[in-house]
Amino acid sequence: MFLLTKISDLVQIKPEDFNKQSCIAIEDNINAKYANKVVQKIGLCICLWDILWTSEGLIGHGTGLVNVNVEFRMVVFRPFKDEVMIARIVSQTQEGINLATDFFHDIFVPYTELPDNTEFEPAEGLWVWKEDDQVMYYDNNEMVRVQVIAEEWHDQTPNGPPKDASEEPISRVRPPYQITGSMKGPGLGCYLWWEE
Amino acid sequence: MKIVESQAALLSNYEVYQHLVDQQKRNKAQGRRVPGNLATLMTEVITYLREKPGPLEKQEETHAYTPEAFPRLLEKLREANLSSELAKGEVLSIMNLRPSSSALLSTAIEDMEERFSDEEQQKIVDIIAEVLGRNEPAADMEDDADAVPSVENGA
Repeated sequence: MFLLTKISDLVQIKPEDFNKQSCIAIEDNINAKYANKVVQKIGLCICLWDILWTSEGLIGHGTGLVNVNVEFRMVVFRPFKDEVMIARIVSQTQEGINLATDFFHDIFVPYTELPDNTEFEPAEGLWVWKEDDQVMYYDNNEMVRVQVIAEEWHDQTPNGPPKDASEEPISRVRPPYQITGSMKGPGLGCYLWWEE
Repeated sequence: MKIVESQAALLSNYEVYQHLVDQQKRNKAQGRRVPGNLATLMTEVITYLREKPGPLEKQEETHAYTPEAFPRLLEKLREANLSSELAKGEVLSIMNLRPSSSALLSTAIEDMEERFSDEEQQKIVDIIAEVLGRNEPAADMEDDADAVPSVENGA
Protein backbone atom coordinates (compact mmCIF):
# COMPACT_ATOMS: atom_id res chain seq x y z
CA MET A 1 0.00 0.00 0.00
CA PHE A 2 2.72 2.41 0.94
CA LEU A 3 6.07 3.05 -0.65
CA LEU A 4 8.94 5.47 -0.53
CA THR A 5 9.57 7.98 -3.29
CA LYS A 6 12.83 9.86 -3.58
CA ILE A 7 12.29 13.52 -4.45
CA SER A 8 14.62 16.45 -4.86
CA ASP A 9 13.18 19.92 -4.39
CA LEU A 10 14.05 23.49 -3.53
CA VAL A 11 12.98 24.41 -0.02
CA GLN A 12 12.56 28.10 0.84
CA ILE A 13 12.72 28.94 4.50
CA LYS A 14 11.01 32.13 5.54
CA PRO A 15 12.71 34.51 7.99
CA GLU A 16 9.97 33.89 10.55
CA ASP A 17 11.13 30.26 10.69
CA PHE A 18 14.75 31.14 11.41
CA ASN A 19 14.26 30.44 15.09
CA LYS A 20 13.64 26.80 14.22
CA GLN A 21 16.51 24.38 13.80
CA SER A 22 17.32 24.04 10.10
CA CYS A 23 16.31 20.40 9.87
CA ILE A 24 13.00 21.09 11.59
CA ALA A 25 12.29 24.06 9.35
CA ILE A 26 13.03 21.94 6.28
CA GLU A 27 10.87 19.09 7.53
CA ASP A 28 7.89 21.36 8.26
CA ASN A 29 8.30 23.05 4.92
CA ILE A 30 8.28 19.76 3.01
CA ASN A 31 5.35 18.36 4.97
CA ALA A 32 3.32 21.54 4.48
CA LYS A 33 3.91 21.32 0.74
CA TYR A 34 3.36 17.59 0.19
CA ALA A 35 1.29 15.96 2.96
CA ASN A 36 -2.20 14.97 1.80
CA LYS A 37 -1.49 15.97 -1.80
CA VAL A 38 -1.61 13.76 -4.86
CA VAL A 39 1.38 13.90 -7.19
CA GLN A 40 0.36 12.64 -10.63
CA LYS A 41 1.57 9.11 -11.39
CA ILE A 42 3.24 8.95 -7.98
CA GLY A 43 0.44 8.69 -5.44
CA LEU A 44 -0.95 10.38 -2.35
CA CYS A 45 1.90 11.84 -0.28
CA ILE A 46 1.65 11.04 3.42
CA CYS A 47 4.68 12.50 5.18
CA LEU A 48 8.42 12.92 5.11
CA TRP A 49 10.34 9.71 5.82
CA ASP A 50 13.89 11.05 5.97
CA ILE A 51 16.16 13.74 4.57
CA LEU A 52 19.01 12.31 2.48
CA TRP A 53 21.00 15.39 1.54
CA THR A 54 20.82 19.17 1.74
CA SER A 55 22.84 21.94 0.12
CA GLU A 56 24.09 25.05 1.89
CA GLY A 57 21.40 27.67 2.47
CA LEU A 58 21.63 30.57 0.03
CA ILE A 59 19.88 33.92 0.30
CA GLY A 60 18.80 35.38 -3.01
CA HIS A 61 18.60 39.08 -3.92
CA GLY A 62 15.53 40.96 -2.89
CA THR A 63 14.03 38.45 -0.46
CA GLY A 64 15.05 37.15 2.92
CA LEU A 65 14.29 33.58 1.96
CA VAL A 66 16.93 30.95 2.55
CA ASN A 67 17.05 28.57 -0.43
CA VAL A 68 18.11 25.01 0.24
CA ASN A 69 18.20 22.13 -2.23
CA VAL A 70 17.01 19.02 -0.47
CA GLU A 71 16.85 15.38 -1.44
CA PHE A 72 14.43 13.40 0.69
CA ARG A 73 12.21 10.34 0.82
CA MET A 74 8.47 10.63 1.11
CA VAL A 75 5.95 8.05 2.34
CA VAL A 76 3.42 7.67 -0.47
CA PHE A 77 0.11 5.83 -0.61
CA ARG A 78 -0.11 3.86 -3.83
CA PRO A 79 -1.34 0.27 -3.64
CA PHE A 80 0.12 -1.95 -6.37
CA LYS A 81 -1.98 -3.79 -8.91
CA ASP A 82 -3.75 -6.86 -7.48
CA GLU A 83 -2.97 -5.78 -3.92
CA VAL A 84 -5.77 -6.43 -1.45
CA MET A 85 -6.57 -3.69 1.03
CA ILE A 86 -9.18 -2.89 3.62
CA ALA A 87 -11.74 -0.14 3.02
CA ARG A 88 -15.17 1.00 4.13
CA ILE A 89 -18.39 1.09 2.09
CA VAL A 90 -19.48 4.70 1.75
CA SER A 91 -22.34 4.69 -0.72
CA GLN A 92 -23.89 2.55 -3.42
CA THR A 93 -25.53 3.19 -6.75
CA GLN A 94 -26.68 1.06 -9.62
CA GLU A 95 -23.24 1.48 -11.16
CA GLY A 96 -21.44 -0.05 -8.21
CA ILE A 97 -20.08 0.60 -4.75
CA ASN A 98 -18.03 3.56 -3.53
CA LEU A 99 -15.40 2.76 -0.94
CA ALA A 100 -13.10 4.91 1.17
CA THR A 101 -10.41 4.68 3.77
CA ASP A 102 -10.10 7.32 6.48
CA PHE A 103 -7.56 9.26 4.44
CA PHE A 104 -8.43 8.36 0.83
CA HIS A 105 -11.92 8.59 -0.63
CA ASP A 106 -11.77 7.63 -4.27
CA ILE A 107 -12.15 3.88 -4.56
CA PHE A 108 -14.87 2.52 -6.81
CA VAL A 109 -16.03 -1.05 -7.41
CA PRO A 110 -18.12 -1.33 -10.60
CA TYR A 111 -21.02 -3.81 -10.49
CA THR A 112 -19.17 -6.03 -12.97
CA GLU A 113 -16.56 -6.65 -10.26
CA LEU A 114 -19.07 -7.92 -7.71
CA PRO A 115 -19.67 -11.66 -7.42
CA ASP A 116 -22.16 -13.29 -9.80
CA ASN A 117 -25.71 -13.42 -8.39
CA THR A 118 -25.30 -9.96 -6.92
CA GLU A 119 -28.30 -7.70 -7.37
CA PHE A 120 -29.07 -4.08 -6.62
CA GLU A 121 -32.08 -3.48 -4.40
CA PRO A 122 -33.35 -0.05 -5.36
CA ALA A 123 -35.72 0.15 -2.38
CA GLU A 124 -32.86 -0.02 0.10
CA GLY A 125 -30.14 1.28 -2.18
CA LEU A 126 -27.95 -1.69 -1.39
CA TRP A 127 -26.23 -4.44 -3.30
CA VAL A 128 -27.11 -7.95 -2.24
CA TRP A 129 -25.21 -11.15 -2.84
CA LYS A 130 -27.50 -14.19 -3.11
CA GLU A 131 -25.42 -17.31 -2.80
CA ASP A 132 -27.34 -20.61 -2.57
CA ASP A 133 -30.14 -19.67 -0.19
CA GLN A 134 -28.05 -17.20 1.78
CA VAL A 135 -28.64 -13.49 1.34
CA MET A 136 -25.76 -11.19 2.17
CA TYR A 137 -25.98 -7.42 2.17
CA TYR A 138 -23.27 -4.91 1.36
CA ASP A 139 -24.22 -2.58 4.19
CA ASN A 140 -22.92 0.96 4.24
CA ASN A 141 -20.09 1.54 6.73
CA GLU A 142 -19.17 -2.13 6.61
CA MET A 143 -15.44 -2.89 6.30
CA VAL A 144 -14.51 -4.82 3.18
CA ARG A 145 -11.46 -6.32 1.54
CA VAL A 146 -10.99 -5.03 -1.97
CA GLN A 147 -8.49 -5.90 -4.67
CA VAL A 148 -6.96 -3.08 -6.67
CA ILE A 149 -7.37 -3.69 -10.40
CA ALA A 150 -6.75 -0.29 -12.00
CA GLU A 151 -5.85 3.30 -11.25
CA GLU A 152 -6.78 6.52 -13.01
CA TRP A 153 -5.05 9.86 -12.89
CA HIS A 154 -6.68 13.19 -13.64
CA ASP A 155 -4.49 16.23 -13.73
CA GLN A 156 -6.13 19.07 -11.83
CA THR A 157 -4.91 21.88 -14.06
CA PRO A 158 -7.59 24.57 -14.22
CA ASN A 159 -9.61 24.94 -17.40
CA GLY A 160 -9.13 28.19 -19.24
CA PRO A 161 -11.96 30.72 -19.39
CA PRO A 162 -14.74 29.69 -21.80
CA LYS A 163 -14.08 31.02 -25.29
CA ASP A 164 -17.71 31.72 -25.86
CA ALA A 165 -19.62 33.57 -23.13
CA SER A 166 -22.62 31.29 -23.61
CA GLU A 167 -20.49 28.17 -23.12
CA GLU A 168 -21.12 26.38 -19.86
CA PRO A 169 -17.97 25.94 -17.80
CA ILE A 170 -17.14 22.30 -17.17
CA SER A 171 -18.18 21.71 -13.59
CA ARG A 172 -17.57 18.00 -13.16
CA VAL A 173 -14.63 17.58 -10.83
CA ARG A 174 -12.76 14.36 -11.25
CA PRO A 175 -10.58 13.06 -8.45
CA PRO A 176 -6.84 13.41 -9.07
CA TYR A 177 -6.23 9.76 -8.25
CA GLN A 178 -8.90 7.11 -8.42
CA ILE A 179 -8.64 3.41 -7.72
CA THR A 180 -10.88 0.81 -9.32
CA GLY A 181 -11.32 -2.29 -7.22
CA SER A 182 -12.80 -5.75 -7.38
CA MET A 183 -14.69 -7.72 -4.74
CA LYS A 184 -15.06 -10.88 -6.79
CA GLY A 185 -13.15 -13.81 -5.39
CA PRO A 186 -12.46 -15.72 -2.19
CA GLY A 187 -11.71 -13.58 0.85
CA LEU A 188 -12.99 -10.39 -0.78
CA GLY A 189 -16.06 -8.40 0.19
CA CYS A 190 -17.31 -7.79 3.73
CA TYR A 191 -14.72 -9.13 6.15
CA LEU A 192 -17.41 -10.52 8.48
CA TRP A 193 -18.35 -13.10 5.85
CA TRP A 194 -14.92 -14.65 6.13
CA GLU A 195 -14.53 -14.78 9.89
CA GLU A 196 -14.40 -18.30 11.24
CA MET B 1 10.30 19.40 -7.70
CA LYS B 2 12.03 16.50 -9.34
CA ILE B 3 11.19 12.84 -8.78
CA VAL B 4 14.53 11.09 -8.40
CA GLU B 5 13.14 7.61 -7.91
CA SER B 6 9.40 7.01 -7.96
CA GLN B 7 9.51 3.71 -6.09
CA ALA B 8 12.65 3.63 -3.98
CA ALA B 9 11.29 1.01 -1.58
CA LEU B 10 8.09 -0.67 -0.47
CA LEU B 11 6.89 -0.09 3.06
CA SER B 12 4.76 -2.39 5.14
CA ASN B 13 1.75 -0.93 6.92
CA TYR B 14 3.49 -1.60 10.20
CA GLU B 15 6.49 0.52 9.26
CA VAL B 16 4.26 3.41 8.25
CA TYR B 17 2.21 3.03 11.41
CA GLN B 18 5.29 3.00 13.64
CA HIS B 19 6.80 5.99 11.83
CA LEU B 20 3.64 8.03 12.35
CA VAL B 21 3.18 7.01 15.97
CA ASP B 22 6.84 7.82 16.72
CA GLN B 23 6.47 11.21 15.06
CA GLN B 24 3.35 12.04 17.03
CA LYS B 25 5.13 11.11 20.26
CA ARG B 26 8.17 13.18 19.33
CA ASN B 27 6.06 16.20 18.38
CA LYS B 28 4.21 15.99 21.65
CA ALA B 29 7.40 15.63 23.70
CA GLN B 30 9.04 18.59 21.99
CA GLY B 31 5.85 20.65 21.94
CA ARG B 32 6.12 21.02 18.19
CA ARG B 33 3.28 22.19 16.01
CA VAL B 34 3.26 20.50 12.64
CA PRO B 35 1.52 21.88 9.54
CA GLY B 36 -2.25 21.40 9.75
CA ASN B 37 -2.56 19.21 6.66
CA LEU B 38 -0.01 16.80 8.12
CA ALA B 39 -1.62 16.66 11.57
CA THR B 40 -5.00 15.74 10.06
CA LEU B 41 -3.57 13.16 7.71
CA MET B 42 -1.46 11.49 10.39
CA THR B 43 -4.50 11.01 12.60
CA GLU B 44 -6.51 9.63 9.68
CA VAL B 45 -3.85 7.16 8.59
CA ILE B 46 -3.29 5.92 12.14
CA THR B 47 -7.06 5.51 12.63
CA TYR B 48 -7.28 3.56 9.39
CA LEU B 49 -4.40 1.24 10.26
CA ARG B 50 -5.90 0.54 13.70
CA GLU B 51 -9.26 -0.41 12.24
CA LYS B 52 -10.72 -3.89 12.36
CA PRO B 53 -9.95 -6.27 10.65
CA GLY B 54 -6.46 -4.81 10.21
CA PRO B 55 -3.76 -6.69 12.15
CA LEU B 56 -2.52 -3.52 13.89
CA GLU B 57 -5.81 -3.02 15.72
CA LYS B 58 -4.39 -4.02 19.10
CA GLN B 59 -0.73 -3.35 18.33
CA GLU B 60 -0.32 -1.04 21.34
CA GLU B 61 -1.37 -3.84 23.71
CA THR B 62 0.02 -6.95 22.04
CA HIS B 63 3.10 -5.60 20.21
CA ALA B 64 2.65 -8.54 17.85
CA TYR B 65 4.50 -6.67 15.13
CA THR B 66 8.16 -5.88 15.72
CA PRO B 67 11.05 -5.10 13.38
CA GLU B 68 12.38 -8.60 14.10
CA ALA B 69 9.11 -10.30 13.14
CA PHE B 70 9.66 -9.85 9.41
CA PRO B 71 13.01 -11.59 9.05
CA ARG B 72 11.66 -14.34 11.31
CA LEU B 73 8.61 -14.77 9.09
CA LEU B 74 10.82 -15.03 6.00
CA GLU B 75 13.07 -17.55 7.68
CA LYS B 76 10.15 -19.73 8.78
CA LEU B 77 8.65 -19.64 5.31
CA ARG B 78 12.01 -20.69 3.85
CA GLU B 79 12.33 -23.54 6.33
CA ALA B 80 8.85 -24.75 5.39
CA ASN B 81 10.21 -25.87 1.99
CA LEU B 82 7.25 -24.67 -0.03
CA SER B 83 6.83 -26.04 -3.54
CA SER B 84 6.74 -22.54 -4.99
CA GLU B 85 8.53 -19.41 -3.89
CA LEU B 86 6.57 -16.43 -2.59
CA ALA B 87 7.10 -13.15 -4.42
CA LYS B 88 8.10 -10.01 -2.56
CA GLY B 89 4.67 -8.45 -3.00
CA GLU B 90 3.02 -11.58 -1.64
CA VAL B 91 5.10 -11.57 1.52
CA LEU B 92 4.32 -7.87 1.94
CA SER B 93 0.61 -8.61 1.58
CA ILE B 94 0.89 -11.38 4.16
CA MET B 95 2.43 -8.91 6.60
CA ASN B 96 -0.20 -6.27 5.91
CA LEU B 97 -3.25 -8.54 5.98
CA ARG B 98 -2.18 -11.34 8.31
CA PRO B 99 -4.51 -13.93 6.72
CA SER B 100 -5.94 -16.37 9.25
CA SER B 101 -7.45 -18.96 6.88
CA SER B 102 -6.74 -20.38 3.41
CA ALA B 103 -9.56 -18.36 1.86
CA LEU B 104 -8.01 -15.18 3.18
CA LEU B 105 -4.53 -16.36 2.27
CA SER B 106 -5.63 -16.45 -1.35
CA THR B 107 -6.05 -12.66 -1.21
CA ALA B 108 -2.32 -12.35 -0.56
CA ILE B 109 -1.03 -15.08 -2.87
CA GLU B 110 -1.67 -15.22 -6.58
CA ASP B 111 -2.93 -18.51 -8.09
CA MET B 112 -2.64 -20.08 -4.66
CA GLU B 113 -4.68 -23.20 -5.46
CA GLU B 114 -2.36 -24.18 -8.30
CA ARG B 115 0.88 -23.39 -6.51
CA PHE B 116 0.33 -24.80 -3.05
CA SER B 117 -1.30 -27.94 -1.74
CA ASP B 118 -3.90 -27.76 1.04
CA GLU B 119 -1.30 -28.88 3.62
CA GLU B 120 1.08 -26.19 2.50
CA GLN B 121 -1.62 -23.53 2.69
CA GLN B 122 -2.40 -24.60 6.24
CA LYS B 123 1.32 -24.56 7.04
CA ILE B 124 1.64 -20.96 5.83
CA VAL B 125 -1.41 -19.93 7.85
CA ASP B 126 0.10 -21.57 10.93
CA ILE B 127 3.44 -19.81 10.43
CA ILE B 128 1.67 -16.45 10.09
CA ALA B 129 -0.28 -17.05 13.30
CA GLU B 130 2.87 -18.14 15.11
CA VAL B 131 5.03 -15.16 14.09
CA LEU B 132 2.51 -12.34 13.73
CA GLY B 133 -0.20 -13.51 16.10
CA ARG B 134 -3.90 -13.67 15.35
CA ASN B 135 -6.98 -11.56 15.90
CA GLU B 136 -8.21 -13.15 19.11
CA PRO B 137 -6.09 -12.58 22.20
CA ALA B 138 -3.75 -15.50 21.66
CA ALA B 139 -2.43 -17.41 24.64
CA ASP B 140 0.86 -18.26 22.97
CA MET B 141 2.08 -14.68 22.74
CA GLU B 142 5.67 -14.27 21.65
CA ASP B 143 8.07 -13.26 24.40
CA ASP B 144 9.02 -10.03 22.64
CA ALA B 145 6.21 -8.02 24.21
CA ASP B 146 8.72 -5.81 26.03
CA ALA B 147 10.78 -4.97 22.97
CA VAL B 148 10.33 -1.37 21.95
CA PRO B 149 10.02 -1.37 18.19
CA SER B 150 11.84 1.25 16.23
CA VAL B 151 11.76 1.71 12.54
CA GLU B 152 14.98 1.36 10.62
CA ASN B 153 15.20 1.32 6.86
CA GLY B 154 12.42 0.68 4.39
CA ALA B 155 11.87 -2.95 3.56
